[in-house]
Amino acid sequence: MNAWKTWLLVVGALVTAAAVFVLTSQAVARWCTGRLVNPQDDLDWLRREFRLGAEEMARMRDLHAGYLPRCQAWCAQIAAKKTELAAELAAQGALTPRAEALLRDVAALRAQCQADMLRHFVEVSRAMPPEQGRRYLAEMQRLTLGFHEQTERAMTPAGHTGHAHP
Amino acid sequence: MAWLRTARPSPAVPPQFAAAVWRRIEAGEVDIPAGPWWLMRLADWLAQPRRALAALAVLMLLGAGTGLVQGWMRSHEVARARYLAAVSPQEPGP
Repeated sequence: MNAWKTWLLVVGALVTAAAVFVLTSQAVARWCTGRLVNPQDDLDWLRREFRLGAEEMARMRDLHAGYLPRCQAWCAQIAAKKTELAAELAAQGALTPRAEALLRDVAALRAQCQADMLRHFVEVSRAMPPEQGRRYLAEMQRLTLGFHEQTERAMTPAGHTGHAHP
Repeated sequence: MAWLRTARPSPAVPPQFAAAVWRRIEAGEVDIPAGPWWLMRLADWLAQPRRALAALAVLMLLGAGTGLVQGWMRSHEVARARYLAAVSPQEPGP
């Protein structure tokens, strides 16, 4: 076997090996994800992450069912105010006192919505075994409030503790 | 014709002549390495279909194992995103 044939064989084998590995892992990962995710159940993550039993999950479902209409009502109110604000800005082409008031309304509604959401998280955490409850609450605070903290940190120059804009 | 043969006498073949000729032929056929030693060994190894198929099977098993772990992790992420979207629709994901 001459040199280029040897190289061709080895390189071809390595490329084939990499392709076989990647394709197999991707196909199995897709299959596995499809099998493990329950598209009908929004609360499946709670069961898996916090290892909750059937009784605890029934309590979670009750709490969730009680919270959802409140959450939807907040969302509808926020969306309505945002539409109003957009219409005001489009009509006036400037930040009018009314637009400012609408902005404050949107912010207030968001704050109330967030407070309600946190109340729900606390309720859910209390319905879990203590250790899981603590972990759930910390995780939910990180996931839902952490986003704003990241944005605020991004707006703050390094080493400066106060809020500032570039 | 007889005088022609006597004019060009054929010498006697030395002992082991044929064996010596073969040795020289074999020496001439020795391959010059076509690359580094590890490449040659790898090429030799891969050139055997049974070994190549075994390697392929091992790779597929490794790929399937990796895929299972990835799939489990991905399904966890998807489930978490679903829950977050359900309880916190105003908030973007992490």
